Amino acid sequence: MGLDNENPLILSASELPTRKQRRKNKEASSKQHIVKDLLNAKLCSADPFDLSDLSNSDSDDSVEPIDEMEIYDLIAPISDPEHPLSLESLGVVKLQDVHLLSPNDLTNPAALSRVLVELTPTVSHCSLATVIGLGVRVRLEQALPPSYRVEVKIKKNTHSQAEEVNKQLADKERVAAALENENLMSILRTMMKPCLE
Amino acid sequence: MASPTHLRILPLAEFKPAAASRAWVSIPNPNGLPLIATATSDKTVRVYSLRNFALHSTLEGGHLRSVRSVAWKPTVKNTGTLCLATGSFDATMGIWRRREERFADNDDSDNDDDWEFAIVLEGHDSEVKNVAYSPSGQWLASCSRDKSIWIWEEIGDEGDDEFETIAVLQEHTADVKCVSWRKDDGNGEVLASGSYDDTIRFFKGDDEGEWSCIALLEGHEGTVWSLDWEPESTSTEKDYSPGIPRLISSSADCTIRVWTKTWECTATLPKAHDLPIYSTSWSKKSGRVVSTGGDGKIVIYEETTKGRTKVGGEIEREWVIVGILAGGHGPYEINHVTWCTRFDSAKAEDGEEMIVTTGDDGVVRAWAIEALKPEPTVPFTEGGPAS
Repeated sequence: MGLDNENPLILSASELPTRKQRRKNKEASSKQHIVKDLLNAKLCSADPFDLSDLSNSDSDDSVEPIDEMEIYDLIAPISDPEHPLSLESLGVVKLQDVHLLSPNDLTNPAALSRVLVELTPTVSHCSLATVIGLGVRVRLEQALPPSYRVEVKIKKNTHSQAEEVNKQLADKERVAAALENENLMSILRTMMKPCLE
Repeated sequence: MASPTHLRILPLAEFKPAAASRAWVSIPNPNGLPLIATATSDKTVRVYSLRNFALHSTLEGGHLRSVRSVAWKPTVKNTGTLCLATGSFDATMGIWRRREERFADNDDSDNDDDWEFAIVLEGHDSEVKNVAYSPSGQWLASCSRDKSIWIWEEIGDEGDDEFETIAVLQEHTADVKCVSWRKDDGNGEVLASGSYDDTIRFFKGDDEGEWSCIALLEGHEGTVWSLDWEPESTSTEKDYSPGIPRLISSSADCTIRVWTKTWECTATLPKAHDLPIYSTSWSKKSGRVVSTGGDGKIVIYEETTKGRTKVGGEIEREWVIVGILAGGHGPYEINHVTWCTRFDSAKAEDGEEMIVTTGDDGVVRAWAIEALKPEPTVPFTEGGPAS
């Protein structure tokens, strides 16, 4: 079987959001960086799909809320199932397509945050759009606190079967069943590897 | 016109021990036994006691993946055997039995046998989403991601473990998420199904035993996650007699719809959820409806009388929200809600109802309902609230 897109456009590192610079600034501000904590914790975990509960992290109470950039950082390194390239370098994940709606009252544990990530497939007939979307949803659900509701969609007019893919990705039961499928899980594990490096 | 009721949903108890991962659904025993069965993603079913909210027994070792659904076999007489059917993401179903010589008043279960995995039912091509016994116990229905509904019948004597496939129904064009039986009204039991194709269908067997689709209900704009029939006793209330029980459906489109007689959607419950509504349940005792879903809210609705709009006209009714609780399982999604009879010692009266919810946190919670007294309009006492 040939690749869906043999010559994808690859963005150079200088065109991507400057995450590293941001990290440096954060560290200088001596505040705990939630996502960094999480990534460190993940390194110790044998199974990348272990449920993690970020709200129980040891950082002090003054942790600043998660923003779009941090959500982007969680999914940008995920590798494409077809190319050994990250979703950010393929332009599948874009910072401006990560949307976050936070509740006004952050102290209420039952107040929900809503995350919407819109993906831009490399080609409009990409047969792996569902797998990529599943990877993004799973990565975020397992890395973000349980009060975050994650929605992953195909960006409008970028895929011929966007509606079908969106409905599948929004179906909790289908996602749960997919995660019990060993074949699919091994693909997802390979895709997630760069997130843990 | 009666003043609207206001209910408070109060935490009553947590069933212990909880599962470590997602719990899908909890089904109370339909034969009056103080038991509730919870299907979980850890491949087991936990049976809890409704007397003390503690674990009664566990069904394990039968499935390779999540147990998504569980159903008690209704029994006409107490045969001393409990029977449960399970449906799993491993595409199989299980029939389980447990000898229970007497249902003891004390809460230990030491003298009884373990659950026996009596028989595995195979046939579906992919995940079994829901299993349901017909109220008479004659039929068992199952539905799956493979778009089909199977009707099974137990043949031979109880405990022979012989099942026959009566029908394979393939009208739905996508995953069938839920099945729900309507009690026999003299014309046989009817099965309703809800699907990822956004529709609801009814199926019935004819005199020759041929099963076919007898109705298609369209209106939802998202997956139909759950269905429940109006219990018989609510229709005897007041001067309202619908004859044929109504059906409620909850959906990913964040609505709950009420379907009547000729199977048109005649009402939509007031909007309270902003994420998929995974479950809804119609109370036999109060006629109230409860719903829950991805937003973690528990919402109670009541149908009230608006009165006649013209002399001799039909009495108009409307559904109102009478109780709401956010964050029932903290930040977690709630997968299932059901009305359930109370058996614990703190209950105020026999037959008192509670709500039981089942969540992504693996926890099963019981909630008491408390009616708030309406505010007195004319304060009698000195120092009453200033108006």
